[in-house]
Amino acid sequence: MIRLPISRAASIGLGVASVLLLLLAYTWLSQRQHRLNPSDTTIPTWRQLGHGVVQAFEVNDRSQDRWVVADARATGLRLFAGLGFGVLGAVILGMAMGCFTPVEAFAYPLLSLLAKVPPTAALAVFFVLVGTDMNMYVAMIAFGILPTLAMTVFLAVKEFPEELQYKAYTLGASNMEVILSIMFRYALPRLLDSVRLMIGPAMVFLIAAEMLVGDVGFGYRIRLQSKLVNMSVVYPYLAMLAGFGYAMDFALKALQRWLCPWSFTKT
Amino acid sequence: MPSLPPDPPLALECRGVHHAFGPKRVLGDINLKVARGQFLSLVGPSGCGKSTLLRAIVGTHPPRRGQILLFRQGEPAGGCPVDGPGRDRGIVYQHYSLFPFLTAEQNVAVGLMLDRTTIPYRCFQWGKWRRLRREHCRQAAEVLVRLKLEDARRLYPQEMSGGMRQRVALAQALIMKPEIILLDEPFGALDEATREDLQNMLLELYDENVRARQQGRDPAHTLIIVTHELNEAIYVGDRVVGLSQYWDWRRAGFDQFPGSTIVYDKASPVFKPDSARRFEAFARQREEIRRAVFDPNVLQERDLHVTYWNNPPSPPAHLPPSPAP
Repeated sequence: MIRLPISRAASIGLGVASVLLLLLAYTWLSQRQHRLNPSDTTIPTWRQLGHGVVQAFEVNDRSQDRWVVADARATGLRLFAGLGFGVLGAVILGMAMGCFTPVEAFAYPLLSLLAKVPPTAALAVFFVLVGTDMNMYVAMIAFGILPTLAMTVFLAVKEFPEELQYKAYTLGASNMEVILSIMFRYALPRLLDSVRLMIGPAMVFLIAAEMLVGDVGFGYRIRLQSKLVNMSVVYPYLAMLAGFGYAMDFALKALQRWLCPWSFTKT
Repeated sequence: MPSLPPDPPLALECRGVHHAFGPKRVLGDINLKVARGQFLSLVGPSGCGKSTLLRAIVGTHPPRRGQILLFRQGEPAGGCPVDGPGRDRGIVYQHYSLFPFLTAEQNVAVGLMLDRTTIPYRCFQWGKWRRLRREHCRQAAEVLVRLKLEDARRLYPQEMSGGMRQRVALAQALIMKPEIILLDEPFGALDEATREDLQNMLLELYDENVRARQQGRDPAHTLIIVTHELNEAIYVGDRVVGLSQYWDWRRAGFDQFPGSTIVYDKASPVFKPDSARRFEAFARQREEIRRAVFDPNVLQERDLHVTYWNNPPSPPAHLPPSPAP
């Protein structure tokens, strides 16, 4: 019984069943709630949810824009800029730590300390240092994901077999070539794996910060509509966040398949 | 036995090499000359410093004292002291011999890329680099075919068998045409049949040398193979050098143990590729090596079993001389 393989059809069927079960349970719950209180908005019916989606997508009377478009633009820009700077910084720091022992000795203690500070809690620091809005969010995400990513790169480079390093020298490699053409390529799949795992935390940092101080963005909208108990807008927003995270995961996996096909080969 | 030119030029020389790890002396007074075209087997008990000597020759771990000289083809005599690892010495390790992120063909071609192009060239002259790369891959494919690896071209190291990996690693070294190729227990992790296959491949390289000499050309391959397998050492090499910590250093005038030294250096019979392996044919030499190099109870004078080869340029007779004594 334990670890017994099942057919692919059965596996897909079970996966679909779990989603269907969630939807059915929700339908049953909202129907029961509406029998008790027909004007309830905490567990909206499918019809109410439809209205919520329309409300999110149509041009709003007061702000003259579409909520989803404005929020997605703000949140997306912040997230991608933050991820970009974070990954770039982590690669530079991680490679430097892995290749040069003085850098390792210098940066390691600091990095392991800073890794323990919740970036959202340090929001005020970023506000003081780099100003409001875009800069602040970007700095927060970048510093939030940097310690883990830098550590991943560092450990991957650290475990790079020294035989291969010597081999590269006997093949005429310069130091720069060993670092960029050999060691970085060796660490790349691990870095991409780690970036995939860090999308979640990065979103948590950003949404939380937007909830605290934002005036546009997914976190801001969810907080506002939650206060109004407009769950018909909140649930679609949560679904969009889930869909976005899933798509990012998928895209990064595809990127890894394209850049590092070797990491998918079986031994 | 092919006759040799009177003074084969040297490929490598170790002069008074000493090495120690802290207070522990590992290598003591190693003097070794390797002639171009020689296949030298380096044997010795575990812990005698075979790998240390090899690392010193590669240049990754320089010795405490002494010099290692490399004689490059077409360069004036005198030799260049080894200073760090470089493209003139190829190396094949037992493990981690290939870059895991490259296919067999790319692994072989990567040396040409690293040696002949630079990062700025590859980034900023992308069109030219792409054309050159195709040429590199073509050359790599040629070497792979020569080593019977055409089926492995597109495989990643993780998808290859251990024997294939070591073959590709040798191809990777061969394409650079180094002055000397160093093999550190290359077949230690392989099963018997694969091992025989690969030994045969080395004999084919030796055969290329023999033919080159017959045609009056310089032999192309010089090789040092570190092994703990005596049969392999005698079968593959044309000269067996034994490194051992068991020798009579007091009689040699040392007050304290100076480290392992060379206690055995003799020619070994040369075999044709695919010839029958009649190991009993060199049973005597095997026993001799076992006594002289491996037996902790036999402490003999260091040069009892050492042949003093004529130094170039003094003629005449040279390696490999008559079959095993």
